[in-house]
Amino acid sequence: MNIVVTIKQVEDPIIPPTHLAIDPSGKRVRSSSGAPRGMNGYDANALEEALRLKEKHGGKVTVIGLSDESARKTLKRAIAMGADSAILLSDPQWEFLDSAGIAAVLAAGVRKIGHVDLVMCGRQASDTDGGQVLYWLAQMLEIPVASPIIKIESSEEKALVVHRLMDDEYQRLAVELPALLGVSSEVNEPRLPTPKGTINATRAMIPVWKAVTLNVSGAVPRVNLKKLEIQLRTSKAEFINGASGAESGRALADKLHQLGLV
Amino acid sequence: MAGILVIGEVLGDNVTKESLETISVAKGLSSALNQPLLGALICGGELSIAAEQFDCGFSSLHLIGNEGLTNYLAQPIVAAAEALIAKLQPSVVLFPHTAKTRDWVPQLAAKLGTGLAMDCVDVAVCEGGLTVRKPMHGGGVMGQLDVLGNPALATVRGAVAECAVPSRGAKIERMEAPYLNQSPRIRHLESIPTKSGEGPKLKDAKTIISGGRGTGARENWHLIEEAARVTGAAVGCSRAIVDMGWLNWNHQVGLSGTTVAPDLYLAVGISGAVQHLAGISNAKIVVAINNDPEAEIFSRADYGVVGDCLEVLPAFIERVAELRKLAGPDQANGRQGLNCNT
Repeated sequence: MNIVVTIKQVEDPIIPPTHLAIDPSGKRVRSSSGAPRGMNGYDANALEEALRLKEKHGGKVTVIGLSDESARKTLKRAIAMGADSAILLSDPQWEFLDSAGIAAVLAAGVRKIGHVDLVMCGRQASDTDGGQVLYWLAQMLEIPVASPIIKIESSEEKALVVHRLMDDEYQRLAVELPALLGVSSEVNEPRLPTPKGTINATRAMIPVWKAVTLNVSGAVPRVNLKKLEIQLRTSKAEFINGASGAESGRALADKLHQLGLV
Repeated sequence: MAGILVIGEVLGDNVTKESLETISVAKGLSSALNQPLLGALICGGELSIAAEQFDCGFSSLHLIGNEGLTNYLAQPIVAAAEALIAKLQPSVVLFPHTAKTRDWVPQLAAKLGTGLAMDCVDVAVCEGGLTVRKPMHGGGVMGQLDVLGNPALATVRGAVAECAVPSRGAKIERMEAPYLNQSPRIRHLESIPTKSGEGPKLKDAKTIISGGRGTGARENWHLIEEAARVTGAAVGCSRAIVDMGWLNWNHQVGLSGTTVAPDLYLAVGISGAVQHLAGISNAKIVVAINNDPEAEIFSRADYGVVGDCLEVLPAFIERVAELRKLAGPDQANGRQGLNCNT
């Protein structure tokens, strides 16, 4: 089973807003304390699931990332986890693409890799929380898409049974390959890099495919990011300070009762 | 032709609260652009009850219902929406932001090749489409986006507007769902309801008691349930609790869980990660109990107790029970109910 996993490099999602800043382009958020960026969490879940499928069915896991050169480190981590190879899609023309534009580049990358049975993406990126690229990518590759996947129940060479999360239920779906899956965090706990993988990663050559390689230029965007604002909260909490925890608990109950809330 | 089209969602026989809220947002656009307000419901089965509830000032209401749409899959609903859009030629289409729309609406956008923004908290018109605000970075950042295209598409986050009120009088038009000649490559095998336990559902609850890692140990969790029972609250939790396997993910409050909008949100032992805070941004009153005075949750809280929840909660529960008893039998079982009359 040949699998392509899309990997995005993001700021660490646990960075609080007080430690975020808007970069000079006005279109990107960066850590103001210089914390390193890493693999989008859902993409790590997708990669882990891809590696498990490969262990069962054989084949190759290729990771691709659309980014600048700084993403090499994150792609190498994917190899250290067990991916067979990585490709960096990078060109200044692609710097500020919308979901459709990003998907067009990724679709060209997947086509160039060729003979792909399964494309796996994180359900969304933790920076933009957009959740669109995977659907545009599936449409451009003309393959069916299911997301967010919380379990792969069974797999055969050309078909999967997956669980997809809905609001008040989950669905069991039969998916014919080739297909694209959007993977959610419930699916697994991503593995750490292995010593052998780390050696592979050190040695790995990561090719760069540019706009001329893929013949994809920056398209006219359908969605334009106009402004980003850090959401800083200022505390306004009224503290209830009883003589003991129990006193505070009683006082809280009284307060909320007065307000008609309990 | 032009118009602002709202495609609502039906659960069981009823239209969802989020669908009615989306109509309110659409009304603003309809007056700003001076274009008619159009409605549509696309789903399996009988739509007459939902249609009555959804009829909130539309000039026409379009119903596409057939059995093939009963078990949710994107392909048939996208085809139906595509046919409807081809017929009505709206300039804007709005949808409530739900598990279903976040799956099928981007597929619709990709098919139409048009602009879409999802999970918007604010939607206004701009030259060539919509200008929207949507949370990013787990709610730590607000993004302003221009969404271009004809139609421009947006999904609207729950609880950012009041529910529209049914007024009746729309011209009802029934449409057949388009026939799909391809055999589906994704097939629905089974839908398994997630057990959400006793009490009201998170999404609609007026009161929510949520626990986090700070509750200490699984054997303390009964305190959260007890507090929820005595206040008639739904039980929520942080991501950590789901990760540890104490509760199912349908209890998780936050950006990757459920976005909630209760009158009272009581957070016990929850540190307040941005993703969690994003999920409670529409709560009216937030109360936090945490032993760490520096916990981020206090930045969002209206009332705070710094203390050990094992000491605070039992006294809280006991006092609430007392107060309810004094208030009479009506209140003794908690004040359950929904935020909207749907």
